[in-house]
Amino acid sequence: MAIPILKQGAVLIASLQAAPTDRDLIQLKDELADKIGHFRSRIVAIDVSALDVMDSFATRTLRGIAHATKLRGANTVIVGIQPDVAFAMVQLGLTLDGIETALDLDEGLARMRPQPDGGTSGDR
Amino acid sequence: MLDQQSRLQSSSIPLTEAEVDRRKRIVDLSGEDISRIVTLRNMVAEQTDRYVDAFFRYLDDLGEAPALFGKREVLEEAKRRKREHLAAMTAAQYDRGYVEQRIALALLYSRHGVSTPVFLGAFHQLLRALGNDIMKSVKDPNDAFQRFMSLKKVAFFDIGIMTDVLISERERTINLQQDAIRELSTPVLQVREGLLILPIIGMIDSQRAKQLTDGLLRSIRANRARMVVMDITGVAAVDSKVANHLIQTIAAARLMGSTVIVTGLSADVAQALVALGVDLGKISTTGDLQGGLEEAERMLGYRVVRGNETTGPRLSA
Repeated sequence: MAIPILKQGAVLIASLQAAPTDRDLIQLKDELADKIGHFRSRIVAIDVSALDVMDSFATRTLRGIAHATKLRGANTVIVGIQPDVAFAMVQLGLTLDGIETALDLDEGLARMRPQPDGGTSGDR
Repeated sequence: MLDQQSRLQSSSIPLTEAEVDRRKRIVDLSGEDISRIVTLRNMVAEQTDRYVDAFFRYLDDLGEAPALFGKREVLEEAKRRKREHLAAMTAAQYDRGYVEQRIALALLYSRHGVSTPVFLGAFHQLLRALGNDIMKSVKDPNDAFQRFMSLKKVAFFDIGIMTDVLISERERTINLQQDAIRELSTPVLQVREGLLILPIIGMIDSQRAKQLTDGLLRSIRANRARMVVMDITGVAAVDSKVANHLIQTIAAARLMGSTVIVTGLSADVAQALVALGVDLGKISTTGDLQGGLEEAERMLGYRVVRGNETTGPRLSA
């Protein structure tokens, strides 16, 4: 099942449903890269709160999306990693270094939106 | 009663026919033994009270199990079970019910501070009394010895069960205490909206590290925390394993969108980490808890302002 991508202003929101296949993830990557250019989006938020497993392929694909998005001029934030998932990922050495993460969509968008002082609140 | 039942189930001995048979096989209890033991039934039945008294008097004289003698009803129960035991021992029905009785008695001992060596000492006295009487009542010494040895197999069968229960009860107590220590020592506290403190005190082993990470991640979600100050002033020694645990905890917190500041690294710990070559480059640290809190507040956009700079802190609004 394809992963839906929602557009809200300059933000693209992809919400992963339980257990996406590898093909779904690759399709998401392609679609996002395409849509960023099309909608001139600045922020991509990927919600993974419905996932109870994150394998190495999913992590690698998300990392790929974040890097590709950066090259297309937008920032990616991964939101909603569950405690158990986070713990398992760390055990596997999948730490998503250099990629923004946030508790949930709300928090992720607040962090990525430009602040009055110029930068984003993600620039810490 | 229900409690007793659950305790029986939770003890380390599986109450199955196969297990009972296995234990019988271990002590080499045969049909021949059983027929010899049955001949002792009348003798034991007549003398039961004397044996029971001897057993408990010996325990009392030892002074090693005061808790058992402190309460009348406890002692009465123990005596009643001991009488039951002697009757069952010569009834020669060594089945699940028999094992259950043994476990129940061992649990009673364990609850009232009868340790394994004390129990063994008293049990030996009981066997000696039994042995003396057998030698007296049976004319042929060879025959008497054979009968005593058969009884001894049952005694060892009992001892096997009793010591297993006593030891597993002790282990259970230790585990409970360790759990209590673990629970006590890993609180996660919110000091401001979005800011948690995680004070770590004492040893960190793999299990505690897992629990610590687990507790932190759940608190991050529950409190919607964006900053965590992890204070390790109370951690005396850090080796590469502990450092690794901490790094993993920090990485997991980051995946949940929270930034961790580590505070309270003592001079020794800092030197040790450098010597170990642990890569702490990606971890932000400050000297003490106060510094960590100030840094975290700054990052969250809090500004702490004293009410009146010239007169110092105001005590009332």
